[in-house]
Amino acid sequence: MIKMRDITKCYQLGGEKVHALDRVSFDIDDGEYVAIIGPSGSGKSTLMNIIGCLDVQDSGTYHLDGVDTSKYSGRQLARLRSTHIGFIFQGFNLLGKLNALENVELPLIYQGVGRRQRRRRAEEALSSVGLSDRMKHRPSQLSGGQQQRVAIARALVANPHLILADEPTGNLDTATGNEIMGLFEQLHEQGNTIVLITHDRGVAARAQRALRIVDGRIQPEENQEG
Amino acid sequence: MQSIQMAFKSILGNKMRSFLTMLGIIIGVLSVVVLVSIGQGANQSVSASIQKMGTNLLSVNIRMRRNNPITLQRVNEMRLLEGVAQASPYSMSSGTLKAGLQQYEDGSIIATTPGYDVIRNYSMAQGRFLTEPDVNNRSFVAVLGQEAAEELFGSTRVVGESFTWMGYPFTVVGILDEIGTSMAGSGDNLILIPYTVGERLFQRKGISSVYVSAASSEEVSTAQESLTAYMDNLMVGASSSTTYNIYNQATALETLNTATSTLTLMLGGIAAISLLVGGIGIMNIMLVSVSERTREIGIRKAIGASRRNILSQFLVEALVISLIGGLLGLGISLLATHFLSPVLKMELQVSPLIAGVAIAFSLTIGVVFGLYPANKASKLLPVMALRHE
Repeated sequence: MIKMRDITKCYQLGGEKVHALDRVSFDIDDGEYVAIIGPSGSGKSTLMNIIGCLDVQDSGTYHLDGVDTSKYSGRQLARLRSTHIGFIFQGFNLLGKLNALENVELPLIYQGVGRRQRRRRAEEALSSVGLSDRMKHRPSQLSGGQQQRVAIARALVANPHLILADEPTGNLDTATGNEIMGLFEQLHEQGNTIVLITHDRGVAARAQRALRIVDGRIQPEENQEG
Repeated sequence: MQSIQMAFKSILGNKMRSFLTMLGIIIGVLSVVVLVSIGQGANQSVSASIQKMGTNLLSVNIRMRRNNPITLQRVNEMRLLEGVAQASPYSMSSGTLKAGLQQYEDGSIIATTPGYDVIRNYSMAQGRFLTEPDVNNRSFVAVLGQEAAEELFGSTRVVGESFTWMGYPFTVVGILDEIGTSMAGSGDNLILIPYTVGERLFQRKGISSVYVSAASSEEVSTAQESLTAYMDNLMVGASSSTTYNIYNQATALETLNTATSTLTLMLGGIAAISLLVGGIGIMNIMLVSVSERTREIGIRKAIGASRRNILSQFLVEALVISLIGGLLGLGISLLATHFLSPVLKMELQVSPLIAGVAIAFSLTIGVVFGLYPANKASKLLPVMALRHE
């Protein structure tokens, strides 16, 4: 599913060159549930942006589903994001002027799915995260946990190969965070590939496997059972 | 289709701002349409009033003070020239007319000969026009316009009544039909007297102005040529360019048409500038909206929007704003011209051409000034846009 080889990414920060990622290599297989854990400034957000094709690496190769992303144009990357990846953000990132249903429909609009089918699939996705009674609500009328469920529904609606979650519980209280984590486990059991980025060991422990990243480098894998 | 829906949503989501943005376009379209309509209306009313005066009308003006060769005899000769139907001398004065206790000061006293009625298309309401014997005998008779008769006698059926001017008594022999006002002023304040009487009372020697009508409007240039030849022949010895000129209504019509068209163009041009300013307003608002919505653009890109999707979203938004603005402007200008027509005493019509041009222009402005912000929005890197708070 994901095959990264020697991915390097630098930022120019006030005249100083910062290695956000330094020759990062790893594989993630189909159906895996992987947590990428690291403290803030470790480069995990940069890594997530590259995995999600939101950003492009300076050097190295990244194959997603066998496709070499560095050879893709901006338009092809947009297509790839739309069909292969479902994003879930810490800040939910819902569009405030659209209601839950319209937010969930959005990825399908960009895929060119027809109105009827769009509506049906969006309703299914919202039902699957338990929000069938909140479809016409705007994000501001929903609690944090409900907003994150809408965001998850939006990530699921296009049947992506990969679900990419960036600190999905970061803005939620523990109980709601646990609910959301439960939802991820459920999604994993249904066969979805999930990559979860977090700084929280407890959250990372619920994944099958954790990749620890410090100062832009992947640390030797810890035994999850420990 | 989807972009249009999104555009409407975004426009409605920011009603006040969208309206203010549209206002620029509304005012722009309004001023273009109304000003051009006024220009065209002016053009039409000028043409109409000239046409009323007769397009087969020519006038010969003699500038010589001394040795003026034109006499009544020569005017009669002009009538025989090729293409000429009628010719009459013309001399104008003003003064106070008295009839009993009534006075009339606004009249145009015109000394001329029979035939002038034909040249100017006058018809008689009562009585007769001036005759050859009136001229030959220097009879103190007059033909009055409707307004002159009404003011002097309180009636328009006054043939046989008399009035005095400069102490001389005149007998009214005829009343003209109503002429109405034209560009040349009121036509109903005329007091027409025999040329020979006028010559004596105005204390002017010689004929300095002759009105000529061509046999038809097609023969205007023939008449003009033969008149020129005739005059040149009379003026041998004098430098002809300064001694006389022949004025042709058809040419005057063309000249005026050119002038009013230029005016229309100028008015339209000034108005177009305000449309342009409206366009810059759109660009400004769209740019603000792009930076305000950077995060939205990032989210949209993250969930699969391509550059083209974002570009078309913002472009359609600019287009919808300018189209709605253009249509509102057009609607308001239709109302405005409707209510301005009576105020300006002009037939104002919004021609479909102008309406089409104004709408097309506002759409073009929407595209041109929407393109830059839309392009800017579409180029944002998703990761940068998402980081934006």
